[in-house]
Amino acid sequence: MMTLNDKKQKMPMLTMLSPITSMLIFLVVIPLIYVLVLSFCKTNEYYQVMFTFSFDNYKNLLSPSYFQVYMNSIVIAAITTVICIVLGYPFAYYIVKQPPKIRTILYMLVIIPFWTNSLIRIYGWKSFLGASGLLNNLFVWLGITHKPLELLFNRGAVVLGMTYTLFPFMVLPLYTAIEKLDLTLIEASYDLGARKVNTFLHVILPLTSSGIFAGAIMVFIPTLGFFFVSDILGGGKSDMIGNLIERQFGSANNWPLGSALSIILILLTLIMVRLYTKAGGKLEDLG
Amino acid sequence: MKMLKKVIGTTLIISCMGLMLSGCGASKKSSGEINVFNWTEYMPESVLKIFEEETGIKVNYSTYSSNEDMLSKVQSEAAGTYDIVVPSDYMVDLMAKQGLLEELNKDNIPNLKNISPAYLDQYYDKRNVYTVPYLGGVVTLCVNKSKVSDPITSYKQLFDSKYENSLVVLDDTRIVVGMVAKSLGYSMSETDDTILAEIKDKLLELKPNIMSYDSDSPKTVMIDGSASVGYIWNAEIAMSMSENPDIEIVFPEEGPYLFFDNMAIPKGSKNKENAEKFIDFICKPEIAKMIVEEFPYVTPNTEAINLLGDDYINNKACNPPAAEVAKGEYVKEVGDKISVYDSMWTELKK
Amino acid sequence: MIFMHNTRPDRTRPHLIGTLFACSIYLFLFLPIFVVILNSFNANKTKPYATFKGFTFEWYIKLFDNPALLSSFGNTLLVAFASTVLSVLIGTLAAVGMHRYKFKGKSAIDALLYIPVVIPEIILGISLLSVFAWVSIPRGLITLILSHVAFSTPFVIFTLRARLSGYDLTFEEAAMDLGANRIKTFAYVTLPLILPGILSGGLLAFTLSIDDVIISYFVNGTVKTFPLKVMESIKSGVAPDVNALSTLILLGTTGIVLLTQSGLFKSEAKS
Repeated sequence: MMTLNDKKQKMPMLTMLSPITSMLIFLVVIPLIYVLVLSFCKTNEYYQVMFTFSFDNYKNLLSPSYFQVYMNSIVIAAITTVICIVLGYPFAYYIVKQPPKIRTILYMLVIIPFWTNSLIRIYGWKSFLGASGLLNNLFVWLGITHKPLELLFNRGAVVLGMTYTLFPFMVLPLYTAIEKLDLTLIEASYDLGARKVNTFLHVILPLTSSGIFAGAIMVFIPTLGFFFVSDILGGGKSDMIGNLIERQFGSANNWPLGSALSIILILLTLIMVRLYTKAGGKLEDLG
Repeated sequence: MKMLKKVIGTTLIISCMGLMLSGCGASKKSSGEINVFNWTEYMPESVLKIFEEETGIKVNYSTYSSNEDMLSKVQSEAAGTYDIVVPSDYMVDLMAKQGLLEELNKDNIPNLKNISPAYLDQYYDKRNVYTVPYLGGVVTLCVNKSKVSDPITSYKQLFDSKYENSLVVLDDTRIVVGMVAKSLGYSMSETDDTILAEIKDKLLELKPNIMSYDSDSPKTVMIDGSASVGYIWNAEIAMSMSENPDIEIVFPEEGPYLFFDNMAIPKGSKNKENAEKFIDFICKPEIAKMIVEEFPYVTPNTEAINLLGDDYINNKACNPPAAEVAKGEYVKEVGDKISVYDSMWTELKK
Repeated sequence: MIFMHNTRPDRTRPHLIGTLFACSIYLFLFLPIFVVILNSFNANKTKPYATFKGFTFEWYIKLFDNPALLSSFGNTLLVAFASTVLSVLIGTLAAVGMHRYKFKGKSAIDALLYIPVVIPEIILGISLLSVFAWVSIPRGLITLILSHVAFSTPFVIFTLRARLSGYDLTFEEAAMDLGANRIKTFAYVTLPLILPGILSGGLLAFTLSIDDVIISYFVNGTVKTFPLKVMESIKSGVAPDVNALSTLILLGTTGIVLLTQSGLFKSEAKS
């Protein structure tokens, strides 16, 4: 067996591992540390970053208006996650139950929408739901309403956009988890006289919970940062953490404040991941 | 291994085709290039095409939605990233103070003679050392008559609860806060903390009435009728009016927000001469006319106005009446009080 | 029928309700794509192109007369290719190295690999932007490629790791014992074993790069990739030629996927 003590092994090991190590250091570790440093800096009246140490940014972030943005983001992310689970679970279950050939096709059909740019698909929703869009035209034509309904620029539209964008991230881990189900266990449960509901609650659900947890993480966390969905479908009205960060690095031009907001978002992410691993989730499932 | 060949083969073919396609647009013989950074919906593509054909200089065009957006990019990108930017009045002031602009060589801009003196030698750029005026105008109200029966005469009416969820406003801190300040009788550039606190409270009253924030193309929601009142760029109003006859421009008694945008060359530009050629090109009467025909703002180009004729001069939305402009106000730079404005904005948009 | 319900569920025949439900989910997934395709045939010529004013193929021709749009697509391909090649190289070396050796700091690398995967993209975007601005690397193709490598390499490694987990080092030892040198061993023994993993990892990296909006948005400088071009055109109403190009890209990629997938299934069936 080869071990590190084997001197001959040092060279190949270095060639294999130094690229990834330097990539992680220069493109992940240093940038994140730099953001942490920035978050304690300030800007002057010309929007330039001043390297002085202060807690001002974090003090600002404690104000109720920022707190409301965090809450708003968490609520939208939670609703999106729940909708994705409720719709995604039976859907993944349905796909797994199909004969192998059809199953492959159905699985591919979930992935194909991915291959069109996500922004243009979100814009597709906007143009579908808009006052002169297809849906309103259909409603007016059918006589359901005589004036176009206002379907855009509200929280519902944002949740719809988020659910749409992240739905496949829920379906794929659920699919993997359900596919692994041991059918004999379910049959045993039926044989023992369990009803469908009980079998589902006590056998199927626990066995596939890893998929639910992994999917939930993969939907919840990205939702917090997707600024373009709330910009396009929400009319810029319901800011999420992502919008705040984007604005600090854009028009508000206050990188230190944006960095502090980012640190909060990182902490939030860490808490979520910690909860996930506590609940028995594996990090590998998130890849 | 067959599969590998297939995968690599097909991807290579497709991407080569893609690269060739993208190449055929770019590979025309070019004598240099310039990077133009301008507002969204502010310069017709046809104008850029004519410039490229006439001079052989390739134009890389990008857009921004607010002065602050542009400033942030210019500050953070390496010097020389942009060759032309188009800041508004107060932003020229700030950028010049910060030393972010190159001095222009007027010998390269003979068409400057077409620009009306009324727009030259302004407070933000005495003797036009750094800038040449591009377009200007007002931000004012417009209403959809089929949805709003009351005559609107003042910004104060926008706070009325009957306009709940029916306003479209620009997604721009200074412009919207400025309007709220005006409605209270203050200036658009207050720096006093107690006055700013009062403005903030009033601003938050506006929140339930705002349907959407859009700086780029607010005409969309005016035209399709989903917004009944807009506080938007005058050219956007003019375009909405020509698409939807129910829409009417309104000049409130407090006076509109005024702006004038100016072409400037950021410090460190690597294509300064080409950029000056571009500025000169834009000052040609027929080009200025083309621009205003597509984006009907106020042009400073006297010759272009002569070419445009009475249709343009008498259109209140394209060319706001002097009496109304006289009531308006340009915003000023507010120094580090800008952070108070920003936190108000965050509060509004949460 | 009543009795049927009490017996074991019929696993081969789908329920009507289930099928209806699945169909409506697919409708949900594909609806905006239909809108995009429909809009690419819109004869409306005035911004914001909101109403459908008749059917035309014009945009599919006009599209080739829009150098800015085409070059954005070229940039996307360029960035995707370069970053895929780099991340596959770095990722393959790392995955094999981490599988083969035990060393100090292995768990640290392992943990760090999850950062780009788990944190919201916007964090990676702004942190890379900040560092590029700090050390004044001009933003452009290079920074786009570097950033895409940063987020796609971990995915390549994870894909390969799954493949390697069943891979026995004794094959390599046997080859070396038989006198093959290190490079030959890698080329003839290790590489063929992990090739499917490399391919699917590379495909994943390519997909991630092509569709990336958020990270590119912060580090692009003046270079525009196709998604960023779309973002810009969304501001003033997406022009039908952008929809037309999207439709073509969809057709192209679906074609590639069908081709390679059918290939993959065949070869897997054989092995």
